[in-house]
Amino acid sequence: MHAHNPYLPELATIQEVIQETHNIRTLRVTLDDAEKMRDFTFRPGQVGQLSVFGVGESTFVINSPPTRKDYLQFSVMRVGEVTQRIHQLNAGDQIGVRAPLGNGFRYEDMKGKDILFIGGGIGMAPLRTLLLYMIDNRSDYGDITVIYGARSPKDLCYLYEFEEWRAGNINLVLTVDAEFPGWNERVGFVPTVLKEEAPSPKNRLALVCGPPIMIKFVLFGLKELDFEDHQILSTLEKRMKCGIGICGRCNMGSKYVCLDGPVFSYSELREMVPEM
Amino acid sequence: MFENATKQLRETVEAALPELNTVVGWRAGYDPLHMTPVFIKNAGDLSKLEWSPFCVQNLSGYLVKDPAVRAQDPSKKIGICVKGCDSRSLVALIQEKFIERNQIHVFGIPCRGTVDWRRVMKLGPLTGIQSARVEESRLVVEDANGGHTFALEDVLARKCLRCAHPNPVIHDVLIGEPVTPRVAVENSYGEVERMEEQSLEDRLGFWKKELDKCLRCYACRNACPLCVCQDRCIAETREPRWLTQRVGTSEKFLFHFIHALHLAGRCTECGECERACPMEIPVTLIKEKLNKITLELMSYEAGMDPEAVPPLLTFNPGETGL
Amino acid sequence: MSGKAFIPRDSLGAALDRLSKKIEVWVPAMSEEGRWGVEFLPYRPGMRPVLDRQSTLSPKRVVFPQMETLLRFEYIKDPDDPAKVKFRLDDGQEVKPQFVFGARPCDVRGFFTFDRVFTEGPFVDGYYRNRRASTLFATLVCGEGDAACFCSSVGSGPADQAGSDLWVTPVDGGYVVEALSERGREYVALLGDAPSELQEAAARKVQEEAAQQQVGDPDLVKSAPSFRGRFEDLDYWRSMVSQCLGCGVCTYVCPTCYCFTITDEGKDLKGERLRSWDSCMFAQYTSEASGHNPRPTKLERYRNRVGHKFSYFPEKYDGMIACCGCGRCIRSCPVSIDIRKVVQELKEKANACA
Repeated sequence: MHAHNPYLPELATIQEVIQETHNIRTLRVTLDDAEKMRDFTFRPGQVGQLSVFGVGESTFVINSPPTRKDYLQFSVMRVGEVTQRIHQLNAGDQIGVRAPLGNGFRYEDMKGKDILFIGGGIGMAPLRTLLLYMIDNRSDYGDITVIYGARSPKDLCYLYEFEEWRAGNINLVLTVDAEFPGWNERVGFVPTVLKEEAPSPKNRLALVCGPPIMIKFVLFGLKELDFEDHQILSTLEKRMKCGIGICGRCNMGSKYVCLDGPVFSYSELREMVPEM
Repeated sequence: MFENATKQLRETVEAALPELNTVVGWRAGYDPLHMTPVFIKNAGDLSKLEWSPFCVQNLSGYLVKDPAVRAQDPSKKIGICVKGCDSRSLVALIQEKFIERNQIHVFGIPCRGTVDWRRVMKLGPLTGIQSARVEESRLVVEDANGGHTFALEDVLARKCLRCAHPNPVIHDVLIGEPVTPRVAVENSYGEVERMEEQSLEDRLGFWKKELDKCLRCYACRNACPLCVCQDRCIAETREPRWLTQRVGTSEKFLFHFIHALHLAGRCTECGECERACPMEIPVTLIKEKLNKITLELMSYEAGMDPEAVPPLLTFNPGETGL
Repeated sequence: MSGKAFIPRDSLGAALDRLSKKIEVWVPAMSEEGRWGVEFLPYRPGMRPVLDRQSTLSPKRVVFPQMETLLRFEYIKDPDDPAKVKFRLDDGQEVKPQFVFGARPCDVRGFFTFDRVFTEGPFVDGYYRNRRASTLFATLVCGEGDAACFCSSVGSGPADQAGSDLWVTPVDGGYVVEALSERGREYVALLGDAPSELQEAAARKVQEEAAQQQVGDPDLVKSAPSFRGRFEDLDYWRSMVSQCLGCGVCTYVCPTCYCFTITDEGKDLKGERLRSWDSCMFAQYTSEASGHNPRPTKLERYRNRVGHKFSYFPEKYDGMIACCGCGRCIRSCPVSIDIRKVVQELKEKANACA
C-alpha cells in the first residue's frame, strides 16, 4: 500500500531522553528518512502518535516548535501500558511516529496580540511549542505572560529552559501548590495566582492546558477577569486510536478531538456536546 | 389464556407498588413475538405490564448491573417479576451477596415455557405478524396471509424443553398455580449426554464449527445476570493480555471456556447467553456440561437455596465426590 | 450484451458456480442448517443462498472484515549489539475482486456511511477504499420487510438501486437480473440467458410494487434535530436506556457501525498491528489511561450511539443519516430496544414539555 497510508508510522530514532520529573520523560527524535525530516512541517499544537511496536500507539503533542527542526520533541507522562514502555527507551532506540495530526494553534491570528499561557503539570507540553515559536518570532507579539504551576518544584518540566524563556522577554510566573525548601517563586494553585496576576483581557488571548480541575477553575478566573469565550483557547485530551478522525472514539458530538482539535476555543467548546 | 394471568399480575403489583421503588416486568415489544423489559414506577404504568410465553428476558441482572435501579430510595424494596429459571438467578445473586433477599419483592410466575421467536420464524414463513398467542399446547400466529398454528414443542426455547424448575424457587407472591416440571433435573441433561457419546474429535469439531461463528461481541457475557465482572473481564484486560484481537477459534475457545468455567456451579441455565447470541451458538450447552459435573460430583444445583454456598466458592476438605 | 439475464430458480447454484469461477462470490447463507440465522459467507459450490429473508449479519464484513492487518512489524537485532533493535514495517494488503450476491438495498446503503468517513478525507483509509473499490453488489429488490424494517424512514426503500451493480428481481420461477453499472454488465451474460418479455414484465411489476412500499414512518428523521436539545435531559435517556444490557450486539450487526480499535499483537520478534471491530457500547472504548471515562455508563454510551447516527453524522456530512433502516439492531437486541422509538420521542416528548 504505502502511498500516503495514514496508519503507517515513520521510523524515527531517539536522539536524547530527558528525565523531566519522576513520571515525565522528554524524547527528542529524528525521522530516519532524512528527506522526510527535512520536509516535515507542522503547526504548534499538532500532535503525533508514537508507536512501540508490539505494544501500541499513544498520542502526544509535538512540543518542539516548527522553528527548531533539529529534532521533534515529545514529553511523555507514564500512565498506561504504552507510556510505560516508552519510558524504557533510550537514545539510539527506534520508535514509530505518525505526525503531524490534529489542528494546532492558529498562530497567524495571534500576531500583534498579548498572550497569556496558563499551564499545569504536563499541560505545559502543548503550550511550550507555541511559546518557543513566539520567542523565535518575538517581535510579532506583545506582552507574553506564562503562569506555570505544578504540585511541587520536582513536578515542573523544562526547568533547564526557564532562563531562556525569561531572556526571551517572557513574564514567567512559576508556582507550586505548597511551600518547599529552596523555592523562591510563587506558592498557590494556578487559578489563585491567575487572580493575583490579573492580566488585562484587552487585546489578549489566554491559552490554557492542564488537569481538568485546574482548567475548570482557570475558566472561572478568566471569566471574572472579563475574558470573552473566543479569547480563551485550550487543548483537549481523549483516548485515541486512529488519530485521523475515523475510528470514532474521541468525538464530542460531531467534532473529533484528533482531527478537529485538540485545540478549541472556549466559544467552540460551548457549542459542542458537553462530554468531557 | 394469559389475559387472566396478566390481570392477576397487574392487580398484585398494584397492591404492592406503594411500598416499592419500582417493579421490573415485561411489556409489549416491537412485534407480537417480542416483549421488552419495563420499569413500573407508578400505577399509571400498570397497563403496560404483561405476562405471556413471550416474556423471555431474565430480568434479575438489572438488580446488579443497572445503577439506576440500584440507586433508589434504600428504604423501599425493588419489585421484580420472575419465571422459575429467573428466580434461580436471584438466588445465586443473593448467595454471592450482590443483592439482599429483604431488598427485593419477588413476583413469582410459574411458567410453562417461553417461545423462541427464531424457531417460529424458521417454521414460518410469516410476513406482517399481527398477533401471536399461546393456547394450551399450540402457538397461533396471525399474519398478512391468515392464521398459522404451531405445536408449542416446536417453538419453545431449548432451555424450556428441558426445564426442571418451572416454578419460582423464591417468591413473595405467586401468580397462578404451580406447574408440573417437564423433567427431573437428573434427566435434564440429554443434550450433554448425546455430546458425551461422541468421540473427542467429533466434539472438538462441533465446537470449532460453532465457535468459529463467534463475533466476540460478548453479548453472551453482558446478558448473563451472573457475569458480574463486566468491565473488568479477562476478554479485555491488556495486562496481562490473555486474549489477542486475532480472529481465530483459539481465541474464541479461550474466551468461551473461561466464561463457562467462571460460571461452573453458579450458572442457573437461564439461557440468556444463548438467547443474546446473534449467531445462535448454543453457548449454554458448555455451562450445562459443567453443571452436570457439579451435580454428579457434588450433588449441587445452582440457584436453589439462598443459604447454600456454591461448591466452587468454598473449600470442603470432606468432599466425597472428588 | 443485453445487460439482462434470467436465472431459473433451480439453476441459481449453477449460475453462482459460473460466477464464482471468475470472481470471489459472497452469498447470504445459513450459518448452520436448521437454524434461523443467515450471514454472508464465501460461496462454494453446493451452498444454498438464502434469499427469502434478511441476513442476521449484513455484508459489512465483506468490505470491512472483523479483523484486518494494518501492518506487520519485525524486530531486527543488531548482530554486533543485540540490545539494539531496528524495525521493519510492511503495510502490504491483498485485495481480490469480489461479488456480493443477494444483498438488500439497506445492506448496500450501509456502505455509504463508511464511504464518507473512510474515503472522503482529510485522511483516506486505503484498506477500506481498496476493498470497497473491488467489491460489486448484486442486490435483491426487497419486499415489505418485517416489523423492524424502516428503510423508507431514512431516505431509502425496498427498490433503492443506489450503490448496486446488478439488480436482482425475484419473479415466478426465478430471478431477472439487470445491470445497473458498467462493471456489473460484464457479469450478466455469465448468470443466464436474456429474459423473455413476460419475465421482464413480471420483474417490472415487482419493482413497481416495491417502489410503492413505504417501509417505516416517513417522518422519523424529522425528530432527529431535537437531539441536541435533549442531550442533557438525563431522565429522558434513563427512561429510554434502562432496559439496555450494554451488550453491544446492535453495533456488531449494524451495517453502518464502523468504529474500530487498533491493537498490536505479537510474540517474540514479529507481530502485527490489527484493526478490529469495536463497540461504542463498551466502557473500554473511551476509557482513558488515567481512569477517566467521558462516557462512563450505558446512558452516555447509548446517547452517543443515537446521536452519532441521527445528529452528529448529519451535522458533519450534509444531513446524511448514518442509519440504513435495516432494523437489525431491533431484531438482534436481547431486550428488544427499538431505536425508532428513541428517535421519535426525542421530539414528541419535547413538544409535550413545551
